[in-house]
Amino acid sequence: MKESRRVFISGVGGELGTLVASLLEAEDWVGALSGIDADPPRRRLHRTAFHRIRPDEHDRIVQTVVDFDPHVLVHVGVWEPDARAAPHLAATLTDQAATSIIGAAAECASLEHVVVRSGIEIYGRARNALTRPGESAPLQPTSEWGHTVAAIERTAAQVGQRVGVTVGALRLAPVLGPHVPSPLGRLLRLPTVPFSALADPPFAVIEDRDAARAFVAAARIGLAEPVNVVAPGATTALQAARRGRRIPVPLVGPQWRIARTLSHLAGAPIPDHVAEVLHRGRLADNGRMRSVLGVEPEATTTEVIDRLYHWPSIIRQPARVQVA
Amino acid sequence: MGRVLEFRVSDEPAGTVDDWGRDPGLVRSMMQLARVRWDVSVGGDQRLPRRKGGLIVVNTRRFALTPVFAAFAISEAVDRPVRFVGRPDTAPVGAFARRIGGLLDHPDEVGGALAAGQLVVIGAEPGEHGSDFVGLVDHAIVGAALAAGVSVYPAATSSSPLMRAARVEIGSASRSPRKRRGPLTELELADRVRLDIALLLDELGELHTGTPLDWLPISGLGGA
Repeated sequence: MKESRRVFISGVGGELGTLVASLLEAEDWVGALSGIDADPPRRRLHRTAFHRIRPDEHDRIVQTVVDFDPHVLVHVGVWEPDARAAPHLAATLTDQAATSIIGAAAECASLEHVVVRSGIEIYGRARNALTRPGESAPLQPTSEWGHTVAAIERTAAQVGQRVGVTVGALRLAPVLGPHVPSPLGRLLRLPTVPFSALADPPFAVIEDRDAARAFVAAARIGLAEPVNVVAPGATTALQAARRGRRIPVPLVGPQWRIARTLSHLAGAPIPDHVAEVLHRGRLADNGRMRSVLGVEPEATTTEVIDRLYHWPSIIRQPARVQVA
Repeated sequence: MGRVLEFRVSDEPAGTVDDWGRDPGLVRSMMQLARVRWDVSVGGDQRLPRRKGGLIVVNTRRFALTPVFAAFAISEAVDRPVRFVGRPDTAPVGAFARRIGGLLDHPDEVGGALAAGQLVVIGAEPGEHGSDFVGLVDHAIVGAALAAGVSVYPAATSSSPLMRAARVEIGSASRSPRKRRGPLTELELADRVRLDIALLLDELGELHTGTPLDWLPISGLGGA
């Protein structure tokens, strides 16, 4: 790829977006960097120009993106249900952001390449769905989040076709990290962890840093296809609870309704895609991560789960100067 | 090939599941349980690849769970996880079968495992006359093996409902009789595997047939 590419990152305020931006800042092929989000970045970015814009401010988004005229768009601005917003609001925000940002990028004359964040929820977990689907498996989402990421991929593919740019989608396993708002991570860190007594199926995750490395590689090589981004190995809810010395609670049938209510009250709501993980599992083939992206995950699923239980809880530090 | 966590069966860590949801601790327990009922000897396991994937086709009898116990026996012999095809997708039976190494009976599922370097056992359809007659081999699964670039191995299994002794004999990789450009390759290879299993069964004989005088050259029943 030629040097001094302009790269635009949507969702740069989130933990994953901030990580992607900080890794892109270290890439020599990247020239100017710019990003937008409704919230400011989680850490100091040295080269990235940040614009604080809400997803519903279409005109400002279009103006900002068109003025920057990026060569590469990295679209990380998605809201996972019950991560930072309730499911309905999350779907609305994600749809607004995808439409306006990808739509705005399509108006840019220099645009060459788009990378979007998707999820392995896109394959769905219907009965007889493949245990470990590869990228060519049929897309049959069975959760709200699965439909949302399918819509993002669809929008990006349509735009790519229309304006003649390459589009790559990174289908991420549930992302866990010390500062990542993840409904699955919150649930597993509760003192008691519910699991399906009849199935306790396996699932895989990915650490935020490995996911960010995948985005940087996809932007660098001009990825033009979907790739699953999944850590090797798998675990189950019962095994995760045991590793974290939590109390596993076996549940069957209607007990789940009560558990979901109690979990919501405890601050860890269980959206339908996380419930699906607990009932049906979620794995995906990560073979093309190495062969296409050239990225090898640094942490296995069990290592990510172990780290999940070692990350410190919220540390409250009083202000040095009390102003109120 | 995808990066999957690979362990020898004897070294697999407890309290984990692998990339397909197989639970090594549960598999070890099931193997010990199976040993109470069967004393399985495995032959020809040196023909299987050490690291690459391979599809092993075994003859089956109705309700005998042959692929499951063949997978356990071969796994023990080669010290590698071996999966079997044919788990249902309903809890709790399907969930249990997945924990002991079961895969869905779907070409893409089997193809994914083979491409990732796994050994997979699949049963031919049950024969009409017990295990003497080998039923059809699913050509779509054989096609998945061809697409994954792995070999297909015939394996004859022999056991008795009354005795403990059982045998799994793995043959050399089957070869399609002629090169084809289209899907005929998988059909012809499936038929070839079926024939190879029948040949292996003929060579194996039944473990409980044969007389105490079989070894005598003059009896005309055995020997050189």
